[in-house]
Amino acid sequence: MAQTAVAEFEKVSKEYPAGLLRRHVRRAVADVSFRIEAGEVFGLVGPNRAGKTTLVKILLSLCRPTRGRVSRFGRPVADRASLARVGYVHEKPAFPRYLTAAGLLEYYGALALVPYEAVLRRVPQLLELVGLADRAGEPIARFSKGMVQRLGVAQALINDPDLLVLDEPNEGLDLTGRRLVADIVRQQRQRGRTTLLVSHVLPEVEQLCDRLAVLVEGRLVYAGPVAALKHDPRTGTERSLEQALQELYENLPP
Amino acid sequence: MNLPAALFAVRCLVRDTFRQALASRVFWLMLVVSGLCIALCLSVHIEGVQSLRRPGETELIGPDDKPYTGSDPSHGQMTLAFGAVRLGLFRDAETQVHFLQSVLAQWVAGAAGTLLVLIWTAGFLPEFLQPSAATVLLAKPVPRWSLLVGKFLGVLTFVGFQAVVFVGGTWLALGLRTGVWLPGYLLTIPLLLLNFAVIYSFAALLAVSTRSTVACAFGAILFWALCGGVNYARHAALAQASVAPEASPYPPVFLGAVEAGYWLLPKPADMGILVQQAVETNKHFGGRPEFRAVLEQGAFHPELALFTSVLFGVALLAVAARQLARTDY
Repeated sequence: MAQTAVAEFEKVSKEYPAGLLRRHVRRAVADVSFRIEAGEVFGLVGPNRAGKTTLVKILLSLCRPTRGRVSRFGRPVADRASLARVGYVHEKPAFPRYLTAAGLLEYYGALALVPYEAVLRRVPQLLELVGLADRAGEPIARFSKGMVQRLGVAQALINDPDLLVLDEPNEGLDLTGRRLVADIVRQQRQRGRTTLLVSHVLPEVEQLCDRLAVLVEGRLVYAGPVAALKHDPRTGTERSLEQALQELYENLPP
Repeated sequence: MNLPAALFAVRCLVRDTFRQALASRVFWLMLVVSGLCIALCLSVHIEGVQSLRRPGETELIGPDDKPYTGSDPSHGQMTLAFGAVRLGLFRDAETQVHFLQSVLAQWVAGAAGTLLVLIWTAGFLPEFLQPSAATVLLAKPVPRWSLLVGKFLGVLTFVGFQAVVFVGGTWLALGLRTGVWLPGYLLTIPLLLLNFAVIYSFAALLAVSTRSTVACAFGAILFWALCGGVNYARHAALAQASVAPEASPYPPVFLGAVEAGYWLLPKPADMGILVQQAVETNKHFGGRPEFRAVLEQGAFHPELALFTSVLFGVALLAVAARQLARTDY
């Protein structure tokens, strides 16, 4: 029997109303199908406006697909209970500025339905992990962009998620911060947990991801192992991920 | 629907909104205003001879044991600001204190306070619902409606806290200084809160639809004015009809629309009547002739007025919650 996918997209399309009278339709993704298996690091790449964030939003029940089916841990995404097993890092998080770092983690932990004792235990550990232990009691209003992003990573881990969704997690992070995110992704994999990484930073994708999906103009043009994409079938040699992606972008089927 | 999760989320949001309010300067400004009003009440003193009004009586009784008409000839005075301001008593200390309580409840808290709180809290929901702030929250397992309801109740908790400080503080201060303890004055706390909650539910719907602080602030104030206008127009029309039924300048269709609007919409003017009744100023001053006429005709039903107002607020909040649940982020 096939193992239940952590996430599964089946012929998913999403269209947004557009125009002044909202009579037109803007297609964000069309007929996209792929699976994310347990324990893997799955990359989602593509140029701007390819539909990557739309797929993430559908997976997180932030918006609904126009057509197709999406499941999370084998259940339809409309069932919000399974969100308790998901952690999400937004590319540009805006947290309540009146909260302290520790207060924010307690608040988000509570909304993630983590037992209060577990939250209290995890908050200092996570602040230590993201290098903010000495700023625990400080209001977020005083934090730099990079510090807010680190806090965003910490809040995503508050429920010890089975699926970690990272949407451009390195936005505003310095080199140490990027290493930290990479380490977290590796630790997730070592523990058999799943990560969905949306990123434009190709070396990071190449280094961390086992498989990836490539989207261009809302269409899925590749889904499979990173190594297979890098293999050039014409020469039989290995090319860089950038070269492979460039070829996919340029040779888009009509 | 996971009800325990929803209730837990509501509790978290209430606590968070209260923290948000505490972090704001307006919270402290409102406490200062309440403090000044309490200090003013602490500076009140009643001077003068014994009133003609006997305890438990509404009317003045003259020395000949017959009802006395006209102002109380006792020449008593109420002093404010520790004697800096002196006001002649209308009748007696109790009436004067009730009048002061009526001004505090209706004008300071009910009008100025509600306006200030509506403007200040107008930004709470739109900011909360901005995509950059809301996406991480909406990706949590709690139902979406519970996030909106939690934030809404959080704002009410804060407003309730301010109302308790203001009304409770002034009641205590006036009681200590004058010996007049009117429990009905404390009833204005739930009345003020209810009035605010119903108007704020419209702001919640605007917040979900527009995510604009300006739209919420202006929309809520205009809605408040509209409801007050319809409420007043209904009572005025009834009063006029009772005085001269044939001379009504309004067509029946208009009167029907006003009557329907009155029963459909919240009723801020009726809340004012209830506040007046709670502080018993209606016994001494009578109130507006339109409202008096409605009371005399038996066309004012406090329970129904409260119930339909609350029903409208709940319906608006339900529509807002449903809209939030269906919104793509």
